[in-house]
Amino acid sequence: MAEVHARVDKHGNVHIAKKNRIRRFGVADFVLLALLTLLGLIILYPFYNAILVSLVPNTVYLRYQGLMLWPPEVTLEAYSFTFQSSLIWYGFKNSFLITVIGTVYNMVLTILCAYALTKPIPGGKVIRFLIVFTMYFSGGLIPFYLLIRDLGLIDTLWSMILPTGINIMYMLIISNYFKSLPPALEESAKIDGATDLRILWSVILPLSLPLLATFTLYYAVERWNEWYNAMLFVKNVENWPLQNVLRTIINDVNMMATQNIPGQAKPDIKGDAIKMSSIIIGMAPIMCLYPFLQRYFLSGMTLGAVKE
Amino acid sequence: MTARSVKAGRRPFKKTLRVMWDYRWIYLMLLPCMAFFIIFKYVPMYGIQLAFKDYVIKGIAASPWNNFEHFKYMMTEPEFLPALRNTLIISFYRILFGFPFPILLAIMINEVYMPRYKRVLQTIYTFPHFLTWVVMAGIMLNLLGSTGMVRKVAEIFVPGIGDNWNLLYNKAAFRSLLVISDIWKEAGWGTIIYLAAIAGIDQSLYEAATIDGCNRWQKIWYITLPGIVNMIAIQFVLRVGAVMEGGFDQIFNLYKPPVYETGDIIDTYIYRLSFVENTGVDMGFTTAVGLFKNVINFILLMVANFVTKALGQETVL
Repeated sequence: MAEVHARVDKHGNVHIAKKNRIRRFGVADFVLLALLTLLGLIILYPFYNAILVSLVPNTVYLRYQGLMLWPPEVTLEAYSFTFQSSLIWYGFKNSFLITVIGTVYNMVLTILCAYALTKPIPGGKVIRFLIVFTMYFSGGLIPFYLLIRDLGLIDTLWSMILPTGINIMYMLIISNYFKSLPPALEESAKIDGATDLRILWSVILPLSLPLLATFTLYYAVERWNEWYNAMLFVKNVENWPLQNVLRTIINDVNMMATQNIPGQAKPDIKGDAIKMSSIIIGMAPIMCLYPFLQRYFLSGMTLGAVKE
Repeated sequence: MTARSVKAGRRPFKKTLRVMWDYRWIYLMLLPCMAFFIIFKYVPMYGIQLAFKDYVIKGIAASPWNNFEHFKYMMTEPEFLPALRNTLIISFYRILFGFPFPILLAIMINEVYMPRYKRVLQTIYTFPHFLTWVVMAGIMLNLLGSTGMVRKVAEIFVPGIGDNWNLLYNKAAFRSLLVISDIWKEAGWGTIIYLAAIAGIDQSLYEAATIDGCNRWQKIWYITLPGIVNMIAIQFVLRVGAVMEGGFDQIFNLYKPPVYETGDIIDTYIYRLSFVENTGVDMGFTTAVGLFKNVINFILLMVANFVTKALGQETVL
């Protein structure tokens, strides 16, 4: 057996440095790293290109015909134009509201459902079946549309919040985790006379915070990225989330000019720069947060994949 | 005798009631959840009857039954069968090219012995998963369009190719565009499940193989691959089970009328007929198309569920 050096870091993870891991950097390693780096660059380049297009003046963009490795000239005109558009601000406001309210709504329903399913209640099997069945079969687009219409949710923020309540996969993973907690904790709280709601709040939840944080993030990203329900149900521009605003700008950049401050002339920058600046602004929150939160996202995926 | 048996028969019921009372808080917790499922999942299922009715403005219940007219019409509708065919072909391409990619990539990532660089790479690979197809398509439309960078690069290698530049609205190229851009967005995210499976392989196998003088390729071939083959099988079955999902978000944000012929799938077809084109098509007809899709989907998922269970994976149903 190789000699093993174990080291525990501040997060409590054990790092094992095995002596036989120390290896020479061979040709295969070089080829491997070159390929993976190249793939990374291919994935990143379109984003980088979008940033370039958003930054250079139109004349330069046309001269280089889109192929630049470095911006020869930088202007923030497209950004200032985009930020002056009321459309973008509607988008940010609505996406923010949907994300905050929607994530709370998602998490409350998911946690309640997950906890209730850990109990051997009469009728529990039927309820579980009814829930899981909706993963496999649905009414389809038209009945769903008619339902939202009949509920009077058309053109409201609620049409983008209420219909996406529980992600069953997340709920089942959380439920499994609750089930894996030692039952003795719950029993002692029960003897002290705590109700189930009280137990959930002060015993179960504090023990599950890292897992719940992961799924809160998942839900938050999904709500932030909402556009499908908005496209179906919301015709009023002022109620659009950010993604629908971006969709409109991408399809028809003039839409933005008409939405701008009255009396302001359309500036002489090409639509491409405005489109790309809107896209960069739209993906900025995720772009900035993702590297720091990546750990949590990956851990959630692993939880779903490898069930204990 | 009769009195006793009645009593005996009633006791469990009473007991059940008492147990239910003990769990009253749990039922209270389930109440909003069940309300959600009933309103937003089961009420639309009630609406499926529209598939067998002619929709009238008064509502679903008031609409008259029409003797399967919609299903008969479906088989003659000129765009339905092409949409079905496209759904299957596009899904097939995605499985053929898109499915093996994350496996290969996961094995490659696993062979990198620089933990920090590995993390940087993974951040880059998985990042696009968190963007919407709205954003991804916006970037692609610029990149591949007539003022985009791809045209310019193509011009350098093949002069003159940019004269009739039409990559985005080219019937022949559209499916390839879908498959490649799907790999761009999702392949990195797809590796995680395989990397988790690889991490679960017993490390002593690798150590023993090293001592026995195995080289890297042999270790990949004889330890890593067999270690994840079950996961690959499960993922494959689940992927095939979702074959009726052609990828609405992606196609809807990328396609335009010139590529409908090769790019229109069932989901986009339903959306188009119901909301975009003012064809005056009956709501019941698009409901019927949706039902057609969902029933096939359901059967495929059931089969997939059965097979994954046979492969030893815990399943939810």
